[in-house]
Amino acid sequence: MIFSTVCNLLLAHNLDVTQGQELNLKKLNTSEKITSTHAVAWEKQLIAYEESLRANPWQKQLQSIAHNKMLLTGVVLGLIVLGLAILGPVFYDADYARQSLRNAHKPPFFEGYFLGTDSYGRDMAIRLFIGFRVSLLVAAAVTALSLLVGVMLGMIGGYLGGSTDRVVRSSTDFIWGFPLILVAVLLVGGLGEGLFPVILAVGIVNVAAITRVVRGEVVGLKEKEFVEAARAAGVSSYRIMWRHLLPNVLAPALIMASYLIAVAVIAEAALSFIGLGAQPPLPSLGKMIADGRGFLRINHWEATIPGIGIVVLVLAVSMIGDGLRDHFDPRLRHERGRKKNK
Amino acid sequence: MNQTVHDELITIRDLQISIQSEGSFFEVVKGVSLSIQTNEIVCLVGESGCGKSITALSIMGLLPADVARVTGGEILYRGQNLLELNSRDMRRLRSDEISMIFQDPITSLDPVFTIGSLLKEVIRSHRKVSRSEAKKLAVRALEEAQLPDASNRLKSYPHELSGGMRQRVMIALATALNPSVLIADEPTTALDVTVQAQILESLRMRQRELKMGMLLITHDLAVVAAVADRVAVMYSGEIVEEAPVNDLFDNPKHPYTQGLLGAIPDITARRGFLHAIPGRVPPPQVSPPGCEFAPRCGHSIDPCWEQRPALLPTSVGKLRCINPQPFLT
Amino acid sequence: MKHVIGRLGYMLIVLIVSSIAVFYAIRLSGGDATAAALPGSATEEFRQEFRASIGLDRPIYLQYFAYISKVLRGDPGRSITNNASLIEMLKHHGKNSLILGGAAFALVFVIGIPLGVLASLRRNSWADHGIMSFSIVGMAIPNFWLALLAVWLFASTFRLLPAAGCCSPKQLILPAIVLAFEGIALTVRMTRSAMIENQNNDFVRTLRAGGLSEWRVIGKHVLRNALIPIISLAGLRIGQIVGYALIVEQIFSWPGIGQALVTAVLRRDYPVAQFFSLILVVLVVLGNWLADTGYTLANPRLRRSK
Repeated sequence: MIFSTVCNLLLAHNLDVTQGQELNLKKLNTSEKITSTHAVAWEKQLIAYEESLRANPWQKQLQSIAHNKMLLTGVVLGLIVLGLAILGPVFYDADYARQSLRNAHKPPFFEGYFLGTDSYGRDMAIRLFIGFRVSLLVAAAVTALSLLVGVMLGMIGGYLGGSTDRVVRSSTDFIWGFPLILVAVLLVGGLGEGLFPVILAVGIVNVAAITRVVRGEVVGLKEKEFVEAARAAGVSSYRIMWRHLLPNVLAPALIMASYLIAVAVIAEAALSFIGLGAQPPLPSLGKMIADGRGFLRINHWEATIPGIGIVVLVLAVSMIGDGLRDHFDPRLRHERGRKKNK
Repeated sequence: MNQTVHDELITIRDLQISIQSEGSFFEVVKGVSLSIQTNEIVCLVGESGCGKSITALSIMGLLPADVARVTGGEILYRGQNLLELNSRDMRRLRSDEISMIFQDPITSLDPVFTIGSLLKEVIRSHRKVSRSEAKKLAVRALEEAQLPDASNRLKSYPHELSGGMRQRVMIALATALNPSVLIADEPTTALDVTVQAQILESLRMRQRELKMGMLLITHDLAVVAAVADRVAVMYSGEIVEEAPVNDLFDNPKHPYTQGLLGAIPDITARRGFLHAIPGRVPPPQVSPPGCEFAPRCGHSIDPCWEQRPALLPTSVGKLRCINPQPFLT
Repeated sequence: MKHVIGRLGYMLIVLIVSSIAVFYAIRLSGGDATAAALPGSATEEFRQEFRASIGLDRPIYLQYFAYISKVLRGDPGRSITNNASLIEMLKHHGKNSLILGGAAFALVFVIGIPLGVLASLRRNSWADHGIMSFSIVGMAIPNFWLALLAVWLFASTFRLLPAAGCCSPKQLILPAIVLAFEGIALTVRMTRSAMIENQNNDFVRTLRAGGLSEWRVIGKHVLRNALIPIISLAGLRIGQIVGYALIVEQIFSWPGIGQALVTAVLRRDYPVAQFFSLILVVLVVLGNWLADTGYTLANPRLRRSK
């Protein structure tokens, strides 16, 4: 409470002085002009202070982003990974499927192989880059899918309430507690191997998470005045959900999604480690680890490189997610404080 | 030190407190002097952000250390400077001799413990009593705070009580050890109007029973009128006027006080204007060079801008103004 | 009380639905059970008879009911591969899994909570930054990779700990730590943020005003409040551990339920696969229910319906 007091104190700066206006000091309630030089000087100081607070908002955003080390590191890492994934194969011309048993198990920097070769003599570097592509692709697909379905389900369940809500809630609780691997194995059993069942499996689990978050938000928002006002005005439920609830719900949903991207990457890796997911010769970071597993003594790079790749990718994603969240969250509190005083 | 019967419990002298914001420190309490004596209720009035809560917290030594700092002055309790006390001695005083209750009872009580265990914990940290003794003391404190069904309530959790009841629990917590001083920071602001009067009454009863010196902080003049013996008006980090309650209401001298009183809508008056004090409190980063209130004052003169007026004694109290005008209703 | 019964009912429904899902999935994942049990030279008629004898020719839902009733009667059948009694297998593998899972579960809280509290108490110090970095990186490391690295480093290279097998304490160390790793990282973060959040709560001010020592205020009151969200996620921890145990048991050759399940799936040993999947599901559901109950107990606001 004292902090809010302090904030109120510090933010109650907005005397209604517009920029560039002539100093027009009068004694309040009279038309006498104040002649004291001290008064004039003070008013100038005040206007200057006011202006400094209204300084370029973009500048302030960039400033606070620059201070946010986590976000920065994450972005840097992410750019590296993205660069390698997209541009790597462009500049590093190699075939990820080409085997060369003569050159198998070579460490990095051996002849032309930047990161060495695996047990089949395939180029590790290009496989790493393509592996990044696969991971990013799966993560993107999973996130898009889970956001779409999750937001929809969450809004429907949260807003409509009643039995619909109970169904939504129980199913999400159920899925959320389920070990991912079991879901994936079962799905693969039904749908066969390949990327699609993996995307579906991870997607389903992530949908549950997003639905939960969205539903929670909607239930909270449902009681707010602007929803009641819309309802009283006769706006249809569908419209309310679309125009009023959706924008408010997007923020927490996206924050959750940023966590889930990391989950998706690790899940895909875990599943491909077991053998589900991307089928050879398409490289997948998890599968590469599985392949390299038996050769740790001969050439540990085969297993360590894809592992490091996964770690870097997940780190990048989580740091960006965390940094964004930190960036927006305390700001939100700040902004609310400001609005109250205006 | 010679003590008289009606002696000063708390003497604040020229207290200065600064707050840290965006790297630098700004003074938010600019030299406050105030005293609280036994068996009286002093009301500290002012709008949000004027520094009254911060002053109160500094008496208890509860200023958040990373954000606020006392930069000058002294706070004497029975002659001893609290600011020089080490934390252990300060802790001993808290609740035992100087107590505080806060504004929002909903968030002010630990939700995972029963109120009985909270009370017993506070009691036992100051007195060497057995558990059953502590329980008896706890029940008595609750009863004296007029909480109905006190002995059964010991097992209740805070969320099971209404706002008014929770505030009574706070009162019980604060007065269980019979302190000499009670600081109440906006104790009724968060409560329903109907409950406010009851709580105020309980507070006043308790104060009279224990003959405590009470500092009641509020922004609500109705509360002041209801319970105050003496009033100190605070604006932008300073005390601008101090007087006994009747004198303050009958004859406010400081233009800010006059503004506050003039701002109370009078139901009996026929058609009038809602008189608001124009302008806003200046930010601590850009303090006026002279009187803090000068920018908003209807009868400021040039000298008001040049030098900060001192808090000088009047016939009934104190006043910080070099050009006071009579209050016209 | 009604609340508890409600949760039990919900749990039962979840159990039933899960078991159906598992049952169907295993059945549908195809392949021929006979391929595993009978030699390749068996004729088609013989296979048909065999299927009929096991009951594979009846409609699926009937098979399901028959199966469930057998399980509930305590006779889930026998393994196709080695004809071992499933109940016996359950006892043996189950005990191992419980040991591993229990150890990992304990590690998560025994290491995670104190580290998180420490980080929250020394905010922005080296300790805090170090612990948080460890936690962030820890959450990014896939635990199967970690398992491989651990085996490679500690077992092969430095020869400090055994690489595989059961059941001595020395053999338990690596798999338990690997299994607990992600949970520890997550718990550290959660504990730290919960502690920090609670330290800013109003009730802390009231307690300090009551003259309580900092140790009490933080060590008892703040901590207790901070533990609420952590306990609530303990159930998810169980599900996560069960899930990862499949991989970890494989890598460390720890003969638990997960390992048996994976082997069975690969060998198309249906009875084992089915039964053990069911067991896993039961464990997960139980775990969630326990966590739910625990959360309700821990947070007084949920206890009484007032």
